[in-house]
Amino acid sequence: MKPGQYHTLKKTVYRLLLLVILTVLFICFFLKRVNAYYAILGNGWISQTIYFAIGCTTAVFVFRYRFRFFTLSAALALFLAILYQIIQQVSFGEFDSFHAAIRFYVFSILFLVGWLSGYGFSRSRFVTIFWSALLLLSEIALISRTSDITVSSLISGLIPVLVYCFYCIYTAELIRNVSEEEARFSFFIGKRLVWFTLLILVFLVGLLTLFKSEFQAVEKQWGGGKAQNKEGNGGSNSESMTQKDKNGGIQNKDQTKLSGSLSKDKSLVFVARLDNFFENTKIPNPLYFTSHYYTRFDTLTQTFEVDDSLPHNDLFKPDPSKIPLYFKESDTSMISASLGTLDRKVITADIYKVNLSPESFVAPSTAFYCQPISVPEEYKKEYRSAYTAKMWVSELNSAYFIYNPAGNMELEKFQELRFAKLREVTRIQSPDKAFERYYTFMPSNPEYKRIAALSKKITADAEAPIDKILAIRDYFLSKDEFNQPLFSYSDNPGVPGIPSASKLNYFLFENRKGYCAYYAGATLFMLRSLGIPSRLAAGFLATDRSSKNPGWYWFYADQAHAWVQVYFQGYGWIDFDTTVPDVNTRQAPQPDGTPPSEVPATYLVMDGEVTAIDTIKKTLELSTTKMLYHDTEFVAPANREVLTDVSLARIINDTGTVSLGFVKTGMRVTLVSRAEALKTIYTRSSDNFDAILERLPARVPVDEVKVLVKPEQKQKKEEKQKKSTQPVNWLNILYTTLITLVILTCIVFLLPFLIWLYMRVLAQSKNNATERKAFFRHRALLYYLNQMDYSAYGMGPQSFAQRMDKTMGTELERFMSVYQKLKYGTQPLLLQEKDQIETAFSSNLKRIKKFIPLTKRVGAFFSVGRTLQFFIKPR
Amino acid sequence: METTQQNEQVVTTIQKLIDNIETVIKGKRDQIQFVLTALLAKGHILMEDNPGTGKTVMAKTLAHSVAGGAGDVQFKRIQFTPDLLPMDLIGSHIFDENKKDFVFKKGPLFCHFLLADEINRASPKVQSALLECMAENQITIGETTYPLEKLFFTIATQNPVETEGTYPLPTAQLDRFFIKIYFGYVDEQTELDIYNDYLGIQNNISKVKQVISLEEIIHLQNETEKVFIHEELVVAVRNLIRATRSHPEITLGASTRSGITFLKCLKAFAMVNGRMYVTEDDLARLAPPVLDHRLIYRSKEGRQKALGQILAKELDRLRRLNLQSQGTFMA
Repeated sequence: MKPGQYHTLKKTVYRLLLLVILTVLFICFFLKRVNAYYAILGNGWISQTIYFAIGCTTAVFVFRYRFRFFTLSAALALFLAILYQIIQQVSFGEFDSFHAAIRFYVFSILFLVGWLSGYGFSRSRFVTIFWSALLLLSEIALISRTSDITVSSLISGLIPVLVYCFYCIYTAELIRNVSEEEARFSFFIGKRLVWFTLLILVFLVGLLTLFKSEFQAVEKQWGGGKAQNKEGNGGSNSESMTQKDKNGGIQNKDQTKLSGSLSKDKSLVFVARLDNFFENTKIPNPLYFTSHYYTRFDTLTQTFEVDDSLPHNDLFKPDPSKIPLYFKESDTSMISASLGTLDRKVITADIYKVNLSPESFVAPSTAFYCQPISVPEEYKKEYRSAYTAKMWVSELNSAYFIYNPAGNMELEKFQELRFAKLREVTRIQSPDKAFERYYTFMPSNPEYKRIAALSKKITADAEAPIDKILAIRDYFLSKDEFNQPLFSYSDNPGVPGIPSASKLNYFLFENRKGYCAYYAGATLFMLRSLGIPSRLAAGFLATDRSSKNPGWYWFYADQAHAWVQVYFQGYGWIDFDTTVPDVNTRQAPQPDGTPPSEVPATYLVMDGEVTAIDTIKKTLELSTTKMLYHDTEFVAPANREVLTDVSLARIINDTGTVSLGFVKTGMRVTLVSRAEALKTIYTRSSDNFDAILERLPARVPVDEVKVLVKPEQKQKKEEKQKKSTQPVNWLNILYTTLITLVILTCIVFLLPFLIWLYMRVLAQSKNNATERKAFFRHRALLYYLNQMDYSAYGMGPQSFAQRMDKTMGTELERFMSVYQKLKYGTQPLLLQEKDQIETAFSSNLKRIKKFIPLTKRVGAFFSVGRTLQFFIKPR
Repeated sequence: METTQQNEQVVTTIQKLIDNIETVIKGKRDQIQFVLTALLAKGHILMEDNPGTGKTVMAKTLAHSVAGGAGDVQFKRIQFTPDLLPMDLIGSHIFDENKKDFVFKKGPLFCHFLLADEINRASPKVQSALLECMAENQITIGETTYPLEKLFFTIATQNPVETEGTYPLPTAQLDRFFIKIYFGYVDEQTELDIYNDYLGIQNNISKVKQVISLEEIIHLQNETEKVFIHEELVVAVRNLIRATRSHPEITLGASTRSGITFLKCLKAFAMVNGRMYVTEDDLARLAPPVLDHRLIYRSKEGRQKALGQILAKELDRLRRLNLQSQGTFMA
């Protein structure tokens, strides 16, 4: 080091690499944030960063030499001030001068800040601390300017500053204190920094994962729930009643978890026409649309789940996307499985899907029929697909069951009538034992005893099952001593203090806030505790909002719902909804649209495989056995080839319209024809498939080609989509990397010890010849000592042993001399010399262990560096 | 078995000699060993250190320890001064009145043990005369060649080169010395012992027992050749020598002659340590005294480090060796 210098070039370069570059990067990030809040900076964060970088780098280089800080900085500030004045004077035009002056002002400030930090890095140890405090304060000031403080914004704002501050203070100290003469300067610094970074990372990640739920709970309590509606706030403790499928469609989930909050969005899911009206009136009677039955409750995860093995399974689950257009799938066994005979009727519903996924089938219970229909031309954009469903519904079911007949006499009368009817059932008798066991099953945990007790208390006065249900409903609707509603609806009910506590108990006895799943779940267990067979249904609640189009209902995503179904013998499963009113779902998020108009009459539908396709002539040859002609189904005894004209046809698959080129031979398609030419060709009762075929024109005009994706093709497609659209789960990658890193570090740090074990085994092996034994023992001892920081490097073995003997009281020298004799000598070993080899290893090891305390020995084995030194040959 | 007995005899003889010298020179076991090594390797030794560290006493004690046998053991001491002439060493022709002829009057070089004190104070001329004699073991004056004694062992001392009034020995001449050692001060305790017993020590010098005869020494010198040196150690010596030539801190490396010298010294050193085989430790301990004074370093730091680095690397190589092939002689 020259006399004029304060630091060597080496240290300066390290400062530049390790401190300045990172600081500049951090400042870049920081300035970007600052720019977002202060308009005066004019979004020039890149140039501002450069100003800072210039200041910082200059300072680091200048203060390498023995300059005085105060004199130099004062001179610099003076110089900048003068320059500022000159710019103000010289610039032409008022605007120009202001602009230039402001820019120069910003430059000077940032330059001086950079200068200060650069000085801090190279000279004063306190400046880094001031610098960190300054950054933290500014960050807090920034955060205080944000209007919506969320945990994520807090974390993303504060964590980088914290990490940077730790890093900066640590590194500055490190560089200052490392001796420049240290031979492995960079190795040393690198090692320290890697350790430090790992430590910080582990610390932060651990902190975040440990306290994430707590953070979020706090956030919710302070009303920061805004983030709920944001899409993809993954990882939060919120739950949705629906899920997105691969195509972005919405469907009900096959399980629902009780959680701290419910996320909802307002998108339109589907539109349905339901021809259910009150008897002899024009008053529409909306029904809940069922998607799943949750019959099982996992007490551990507090999740309601679908169980396929329910007794008397009455869940009709066709896949509308797999049924050829206009062909129907029905399962009339559902009617008997519904166990309802009294007051039941068949009604139809047309469901037009908007965001509902193509595979989903929703209908009021109990559905038994599904027929995909085509969506009229002008509504194609709005509705993706449609189907007609038929249901065996109870006349006692109605979405109006609980709430608010709104003074409508008809409805009130209807409700009274229903209750009267159901009151006749004084004791519920299950059809069989299995049914009873299944549907009245309660977990045996003590928490459920409490629910049962509550249920008994509430329903003490009620006799008939229906009165018990009403008592439970009334309990949820009752008021407390301050005449405030006891229970209220909340999408964000929060979680109990202890994570594993029963959420239902928390809901029923403490919080009394919740969404549908809470009410339904609580009701379910209360009913079951009374021995009333019940289950949870999931789907969509219907609300009659429009008087314009009676019988049409609009379903939005936030109408996804869960409720209870109760079994009454004779009547089957009846819907009961005990969720207290939530005003929000009563109102549509947007005005309902117009329903799709009547579908034009379809004359011919054929379903089969494409055998040939001509994209120029626009013809398509179909091999078919099934035909619907004027609503009569014909089946051919064998495959028939039909040539069709597809020049006017629209080709659709379950996601939308595609071009003719999409159709390949071998695909299964449904052809629909509404051609006038076919209108007049009537059928006779004696007609069969071939007779009709003969009567058709040579090229059958087709209006619609619906491509059905074969199951295996679909699977492939799904896989492909999964592959292509599966979002990269960075958190997962982070965890995996972290775990791998931890394992690797473990292995690396265990390595010295493993090597020692191996060496010891070699040394103690009994079968070896004396020389081998001596060699291994000598090596093992040297390794052990090396690990204890007594390196034999640069010393002869005997002189090393001598030194060890002096410090530790071992008897290594004798062993070493025998070993040397064995290695280089020509004379045979004497008897006591052989003895020496036999006994020296363990006795010397004992002495070494006695000399070095256990903690130090354990610590010594973690030093991988020494192990490397032992094995790596010197250059 | 005969060899074993012989060996034991050799070991005891040397041990006796060392012990004998140690009664006078306290706490200098290493130096004694090096001196004897040089003696047994038929070389000469150079000791460098400040005055008063016991160099002269050492030479004297060694000489006194050797019994005369056939003739008296001659120990000569020459104090080198700047005005010393070669003639003062070698001797000169003097006119003999009786014979009417010039007869050769032998100088102090004709002896068994020569202590050349402060060799670097003499002029180069004198130095080179001495060193030549040491190399050739004979003196040629005019037409006559006079052989030196069969056992001719020089212990030269020199003051540190930095002290005033010295003529530093050229490297080529330093090469003649097999070993160069630094005598060094004794440790605290030994120094105290010496002060407590200085009278006794002085007595000891005059009463040093004669524990070994000239013949025995010559016999030992011949025995040295029989010390076994493992070929890996020869390789190590070669590696060391070659490494000195390519080390960046060393401008002049060791010569092949120094390699040979090194091997001789290794064997002698093993014998001094009572072994009939050379070990790694011998290599480690001998390398600096044998090689250091033959090398010219680029810098002071290089002087401190270079040889150590080379040696450490070679020792590391040797330590890794697992020499098992020669298990044939194992019982």
